[in-house]
Order: sequence, then C-alpha cells, then structure tokens
Amino acid sequence: MCPERTVGQDACLGSGSSFYGIFTRLLRYSAGMNRWRESAGYWSAAGAVLLCTLIGSAMTPRFDIVNIAMVYLLAVVIVALRFSRGAAIFSAAGSVAAFDFMFVPPEGAFTIHDAQYLLTFAIMLVVALVISNLMARSSRENAERTALAVEAETERVRSTLLASISHDLRTPLAVMAGASSSLAERGDLMTTEERSALARSIYGQARDMSEQVDKVLQMTRFEMGAIALSRDWSSVSEIVGSVLARLKARLSSHQLVVDIAPDLPLVRVDATLIEQVLVNLLENAARHTPANTLVHVRGLLKDAQVVVSVEDFGPGLEDRDIERVFDKFYRRAEEGPVAGVGLGLAICRAIVSLHGGRIWAEQIPGGGTAFRFAIPTETVPTAPVERQQGDEA
Amino acid sequence: MGDARATILIVENEPEIRRFLRSALGAEGYKVVESATARRGSIDAASHKPDLAIVDLGLPDFDGVDVVRRIRQWSSMPVIVLSARVQERAKIEALDAGADDYVTKPFGIGELLARVRAGLRNAVRPACGGKVLKLGDVSVDLDARTARRGDDPVHLTPIEHKIVAQLSRHLGMVVTHRELLAEVWGPTHVDDTHYLRIYMKQLRDKLEKDPVQPRYFITETGVGYRLLADE
Repeated sequence: MCPERTVGQDACLGSGSSFYGIFTRLLRYSAGMNRWRESAGYWSAAGAVLLCTLIGSAMTPRFDIVNIAMVYLLAVVIVALRFSRGAAIFSAAGSVAAFDFMFVPPEGAFTIHDAQYLLTFAIMLVVALVISNLMARSSRENAERTALAVEAETERVRSTLLASISHDLRTPLAVMAGASSSLAERGDLMTTEERSALARSIYGQARDMSEQVDKVLQMTRFEMGAIALSRDWSSVSEIVGSVLARLKARLSSHQLVVDIAPDLPLVRVDATLIEQVLVNLLENAARHTPANTLVHVRGLLKDAQVVVSVEDFGPGLEDRDIERVFDKFYRRAEEGPVAGVGLGLAICRAIVSLHGGRIWAEQIPGGGTAFRFAIPTETVPTAPVERQQGDEA
Repeated sequence: MGDARATILIVENEPEIRRFLRSALGAEGYKVVESATARRGSIDAASHKPDLAIVDLGLPDFDGVDVVRRIRQWSSMPVIVLSARVQERAKIEALDAGADDYVTKPFGIGELLARVRAGLRNAVRPACGGKVLKLGDVSVDLDARTARRGDDPVHLTPIEHKIVAQLSRHLGMVVTHRELLAEVWGPTHVDDTHYLRIYMKQLRDKLEKDPVQPRYFITETGVGYRLLADE
C-alpha cells in the first residue's frame, strides 16, 4: 500500500501494486488532483512516444519495422492502463505519427505509401480505447464496491448503536419503571427507608441514562462536524479541580491522588470539552478498577505540551485493546454489564484531536493502565503584574 | 427551611417539571407562581412581584433569555435559569443578560434549592457593608481590605481584594468571566480570561488549603467562578 499523500506520484504508480487501490483512492481525490493527473497522463504519453522512438532508432539496423510498431503498441497499452482515455488516444496518435515520420519509408516525412500503416494506426487506436474502457469500468465497479462497503459499515455501526441503546438505556428504564410504580402503588405499605431507597435508585438511574444520552448526542454532533470549539485561556489545574468536585461521589470508592505541576502554563482550549475528557477518563477508571485501588491524576509539561494523565491500578489493558479502546462502541471481551454505551473514549479522542492534541493509553509496568492526553501550549499573553508583599528588591 | 414569605415564579413550559418544582418548593414553605410561556412569565413577574424567578431557557414562544432581559429592565430580583446541556451558549447569554445563576437539566432538587436559598439571601443582604468573609480559618475583611489566616495577616493585592469583593457581592452564586473582568479590569478587558486564571491561582494559593481542590473559590468551567463561604 502506498501512503495516501503519494497517490498520483510516480513512486506510487510505478510500484504496480494494485490498480484497484489506486483508482479507488483516486476517486476520492479532489478535482484539482484529477486535473493534475489528467495533464500528467498526456505528459507521460508524450514521454512514452519519445522513449519508443529512441528505442526504435536503436533497433532500426537489426529489427524489422513491424517490431518497432510493437514497441509503440506496448507504450499505448501502458498509457491506456494507467491514464485517461484521452491520454491513451493521444499516445496512439503520437505513436503512429512518430512511427510514420521516423521509421516508415520515406523516413523524415508524414507521407504514407502503404495503406497497411493505416491499419497499424487503427489497431493502436482500438487497443487504446478497449483498454481505457476496461479500466474505466473496473474503477466504476470499485467505486460501487467502496460505496457498498461504506454502507455496510454504517449499517454495522447503526445496529451496534441500536443494540447498545436498547441494552444500556432499557435496563435503567426498567429499573425506573419498576421502582416508581412500586412507590406509586405500594408506597404507603413501605417504610420511609424503603421508599427513599427506591426514589434514590430512580434518581441515580435517570442521571446515568441522561449522561449516556448526552454521549450519544455529542458523538453524533462530532461526526456531523457540528461542534465548534470555544477556546479560552484555561488552567488545567482549575479544570481538574472542577472535575474532581463534580465526580466526588462517584470517585469516593477509590483513593485519589492528584499531582498537578504548580507552574503548568495556561492552555487555550475549550475548557468545557477538556473537562468532559477528564470526566470520561476518571469515570472509566472508577468503573473498570476494583474499589479502594489508587487513581492517580497527573498534569505536567513535556516537550511544550501539557500532558494530563489518569493512571489506574486495575487489571490493565491487553495489547490489542491499547489502540482499539478509543473506537466507537468498542468493548473489551471480558467487559460485562459495567460498560456504558462505549462512546466515552471515542468522545475523548474526538475532543483532543479537535484541539490538535493526542490521546493514548499505556500499560503501566506492574499492572494498571495510564490514559494520557497532550495539548500543545502557546505563548500566553502577558497580564498586568502587581507587586506582591515581599517582592520589594 | 425557606423563608415562608418568599414567592417564587416558575417560568417553564413542561408541566411535569413544573409539577415537581411546585411540590419541592412548596414543601420548603415557598409560595409558588407558575407560568407556562415566556409571554405569561414576563407579565406574571410584573404583577406578582415575586422574590425570585426560575426561568427555563427552552421556552416555546420566545427565548428565556428575553424573559431575563425584560425582568432586568425593572427589577433586580434574583433570577435562576434552567438550561439543558446543549444550551451552553444561551446559558452564558442569560447570565450576561443579568441572570444570577443557573442549574443544568437534569438536576437534583437539592442543587436547585441551594441556588434558591443563595439567591434569596443575596437579595436581602445589604450591599457588602461591614462584611467579614469566613473561609475556614481564613477571614477577609472586605471594608478594611485585610485578610488573615488565624492570627497571621495574609497579604492580598488591590486586584485580589477587588475580585474577592466582586465574588462576595454574589456570595454562593456564579459570577461570569465577563462580569468579573469588566468589574475588576474594566470593559475593555472582558475577553482577557488569562487575567482571571492567573489571579484566581494566586488567590487560591493564598487562601485555600488545597489550591487544586478548592473549597471556597469554585470554578464553573466555561462560565465563571462561585465563592462559597462559611456563614
């Protein structure tokens, strides 16, 4: 496979890998790229004719001119295979002209004495047309195949989404319907504690469900490109503090250690979204690791980037999961009912990459997982400085 | 316990949400007036003269932000807006238009009642006169512009004092970035959020036990700051 950015360059085309691949990618390419390719086709055709003429001249004393015609035919075939129909016809015409001018007696003139060379031209033209039509058809079929594959993928995502929605949203709904109907119909037979326990469970389930719905909506908006960042100078330490206050109850099952470098520079981010990243990472840590284990939140400056980490000391990730945990709806094989809709980390990745940053997972030697994201820093504008007591020098 | 004489106006189009607000606020001893539309809400605000208004930002006829603007034309009553998560922008707009605080849907009633209490308390408190803020073992005398931790003086710069004073004017309620910047540095600096980040860090370093997990100078991410105090 050629890397995408070299599509259309000789290095890629010359590798002769797969025309299917090249054509499907070309289809996706911009109109500008197509124009560039179009003219490249004509230049290549001209080059091929020139090359054949040179080869033909070298062959002249020893070979019959019929063989030289074959060399031209080969050039036409190659041009037709790789470039547009126009370029193929151009190469056929160029080949006949050059062949006639250079090799058909009288050499050095376009005169045709023998009708057989008209036949040569006709054959070259037919070969050019047949091959470029074949190529056009195969590229069209490939486009259709790609469209079908995309549709199948969309369908797969849609059905996974439906499956997870029906499971993850219907379970809390069942709890809420059951608990609330018990309260409504049997409430006066219950003790105050029982009533309040049922009510609390309805409240908890509703909150969870509302968050899941928010995630689905947010992911949809990301995919539609409907989320615009509202960036402001923000302090990572403030964001961490706000997240910890928000998640206080949910993190109470774990031991939290916070370690934010005090001289961390401000970053220009959408603080609400970065807060969401941290919330998702911390909730994941609390959900996937045993109670009372340590969760470590770190913030530090490394290579002009602010790196924020959530490290847990749970069972850790398998190698195969390290990349895939950030995929939509991805669940680890061993994950049971603890999982949400499987969008938390996908949302994290979308947010961090919108900020031009990077997010990744690492295994911690000795067990546990570190989720880290890095946000590039910029020069913070100056702020008016006041004299602090004890500053007088 | 709520102030039994306080009247609260609810401007909310969803009857089920009005229902639980009515029963929860009623149980706290407040008198409740309900409006299902923005138009009705603006009228009720004028005729019932409530002590506090709760305004939903997702009203069908016209924007809840407009209700806030209309109320602010003639009244300084505390206004709390209810916003959904997708209404982030409308929320900031409502706060900048004069709303005093917000609660994001879905919310627990405890959160809303705390906001209501803070709003009513602020409305009756004399504008920041003779006030000493208690922040744990730190106390800040807003008039004398002094601060001390226990018996040791803590030095706050004039701007730091201004920030504390501005936040304490809305004690327990949110103050937007824009509002703080305009009040402390002037209207030409409303977009200089980095000033706030730098000064809030200084304040927390001086006044909070754990500056990363503050108890008093609370961050409202994307919105502003909220000062809590031990009353």
